[in-house]
Amino acid sequence: MGYRAFPLLHVPYRSFLKGKSDGMVQSKKQKYTFLAFCLIPTFIMFAIFTLYPLFSGLYYSFFDWSGSSQNKDFIGIDNYIKLFNDAIIPGTIIHDYFLVATKVIGIMVMALFIAVALTQLKIKEAPFYRIVFFFPNIMSVVVIGILWTFIYNPSLGLINSGLEFIGLESWARPWLGSETWALPSLVLPSIWAGIGLFMLMLMGGIANVSKSYYEAAEIDGANEWQQFWKVTLPLIWPQIKISVLYIVITTLNGSFIIVQVMTGGGPNNSTHVMGSYLYQQAFVQFNFGYGATIGVMILIFSLLTVLILQFFMRRDKVEY
Amino acid sequence: MKKIINVRTLFLFAVMLMLALVVACSSDDGGNEDSGSDKSVNTAEGGNGEISGDLEIQYFVGGYGDSWWKEVIGDFKEKYPDVNVIEHAGPNINDEMRSRWVSNDPPDVVYIDGAGSSETQMVEDGQLMNLTDWVQDIELDNGDKLVDSFIVEPGKFDGEIYSLPLVFDTWGTWYDKAWFEEEGFKVPSDFDSFMSSMQEIKKEADIEPFVTSGQHPYYFLRGMLYPAFGAAGGDELLADLITGKEGAWTSDVVLETMKKVEKMQKEGMFDEGLGALNHTQSQMNFLLHENAFIPVGFWLPNEMANDIPDGLEFGFIPSPMQDKGEPFAIVPDLRPLAIAENAENPEAAKAFVEFAFTRDYAMSFSEHTGAIMNITGVDLTKNENVPSYLTEANAMINDPEQVQIYEKPHPMSADLETPIGNALMSLMLGNMSAEEFVQEAEKAAADYRK
Repeated sequence: MGYRAFPLLHVPYRSFLKGKSDGMVQSKKQKYTFLAFCLIPTFIMFAIFTLYPLFSGLYYSFFDWSGSSQNKDFIGIDNYIKLFNDAIIPGTIIHDYFLVATKVIGIMVMALFIAVALTQLKIKEAPFYRIVFFFPNIMSVVVIGILWTFIYNPSLGLINSGLEFIGLESWARPWLGSETWALPSLVLPSIWAGIGLFMLMLMGGIANVSKSYYEAAEIDGANEWQQFWKVTLPLIWPQIKISVLYIVITTLNGSFIIVQVMTGGGPNNSTHVMGSYLYQQAFVQFNFGYGATIGVMILIFSLLTVLILQFFMRRDKVEY
Repeated sequence: MKKIINVRTLFLFAVMLMLALVVACSSDDGGNEDSGSDKSVNTAEGGNGEISGDLEIQYFVGGYGDSWWKEVIGDFKEKYPDVNVIEHAGPNINDEMRSRWVSNDPPDVVYIDGAGSSETQMVEDGQLMNLTDWVQDIELDNGDKLVDSFIVEPGKFDGEIYSLPLVFDTWGTWYDKAWFEEEGFKVPSDFDSFMSSMQEIKKEADIEPFVTSGQHPYYFLRGMLYPAFGAAGGDELLADLITGKEGAWTSDVVLETMKKVEKMQKEGMFDEGLGALNHTQSQMNFLLHENAFIPVGFWLPNEMANDIPDGLEFGFIPSPMQDKGEPFAIVPDLRPLAIAENAENPEAAKAFVEFAFTRDYAMSFSEHTGAIMNITGVDLTKNENVPSYLTEANAMINDPEQVQIYEKPHPMSADLETPIGNALMSLMLGNMSAEEFVQEAEKAAADYRK
């Protein structure tokens, strides 16, 4: 964990504060007023926009409610029983974790590769590539989804025409329209859309690694590959960890958008993730209570996943 | 120093005050709205039968556009100048107005159509006014009773009427008439000729002849299968399938019909990529001659009006799924007008509904939308502004030798339609057999009955 540097900072920071209070006489009242000024509005907003929806979601999961009228019946844990007996649910969980795994691997490998290339290889056009790779991040996911449905279009799309052009007609298939290929087809746009942000994060990390480490490694006879494994990777581990956690959380909570735009969960539920299935139940089939139950399930899965990841990615901070 | 504290505290208080104001204002708004509507109810009642006050109308704007609505509402305002009509309209209006329905502050009149709306759901939730008695007294201009002048009678829930069917739409199969004439393709008249026509098109034009929206399997369900079930088993079978009666989906007639779908799949009639297409993409495919047949309702030409290539001429036939020698079957799809159970101005709402159901508006509806209003005795043939596919289809529908009309009791609940649609898609992609499909559908019906 990255807390070891903290005590080092701590001492001067405290003496700085002390010096300040000695000279300027900061009363307790003043301190608390300032704290309240910072915390109360944030807390109120947090309560209204995070805690209240969270608990009302939990509350509605105990009701049989269509979501479009005032009538709702309390049915206890019936929705949860239904959840455990729903044959579609296991598929949605598997699809979600398939996307998590492929996205984490795809985005991290690509982003790391590009970040190292742009920082270490002294490419003249580096700023240009930085902008190009970041470009998808400023586009709305909805736009990306629509764009890629055109790319995947079986008759007019870039992918199938490209395959035909290089003589691989037999590889062409109705990507999003196939029960087997639809889910893997969603991975590519998700990775494409994600690389830029994490590339920038990792580049920031790499830029902070002192050049002297590389010089020392070079004198010791380490080649570029060894430098990457022994110097770069350990030193940017905090950034990698945060990136992975961020990808996992956004995928579990947000893969819904790309699924909804590109396939709507079909064909035959082959691309439904937990979020899109929640949407379908709550707003298409008018089972809002059951949708809320799925929401609770997503929350539990996200929490568990993040806790487990935190545990496995625990690593002592490396300092040279 | 003290002064600084004061400034800070003041600022903090200002922020808190603003927050408090925001919260207070939002609840105030609700209060105002309520009291405002109370007033309107009072004026409506206090006026002793006089129609006045606010009238809120919610209508979905989709393939039919909104020009007909503008005309009717404009005329209504002229006739009832004391009524302030508030329109809530648009393609997403059902979602936008949902919070109003949930908070028990619904609009007065609602036209139930489009994504996010479900008449069945609204009736089950007790949101619509029971119109059974009131509708008996409504008369058209020439004295005909409205209840006797519907093409298709209002849907009934336990024998009670909660909505009046305004739009008579029907799904059918579209083709490009000009293209078919030019290439000599045959317009099918039953399932066998449908297959041979598609075989010919597949060979001559080198395309997969049939397309529909795979993202919304209900296009095929309502557009092809309902007519097929109607032709094979009549109203009774349709009702059993829609209500999910035990054994209905596994019955022999259903299996035979699904075998036809399996046959279409095995012979490669379905567009290979249809699994991912949404309805606009599939319709675009059709317009571009990527495919030759598509099941859609009467709204297709209006919906795609901006994308129609030169020379394309819409042709419409009831979906040809019936056996040789049988008449075509259609299953009308009705879009109703209803009054909210908790309408704040029910008198004005009733006045509007009564006002809209006339033969004149039925005629102008066909001109504006290319579809038919659910009223008999409207002669479309002499009106040049009505598109030709509609007059032809209308004539066909009115000839019982050619076309049989079957009625479903009410729309299928999304809880049954969704799993059946999913299995259907699997069958159409060749990942499931007809036998497996009927088992899946029967299972979905069993879940639905629970």
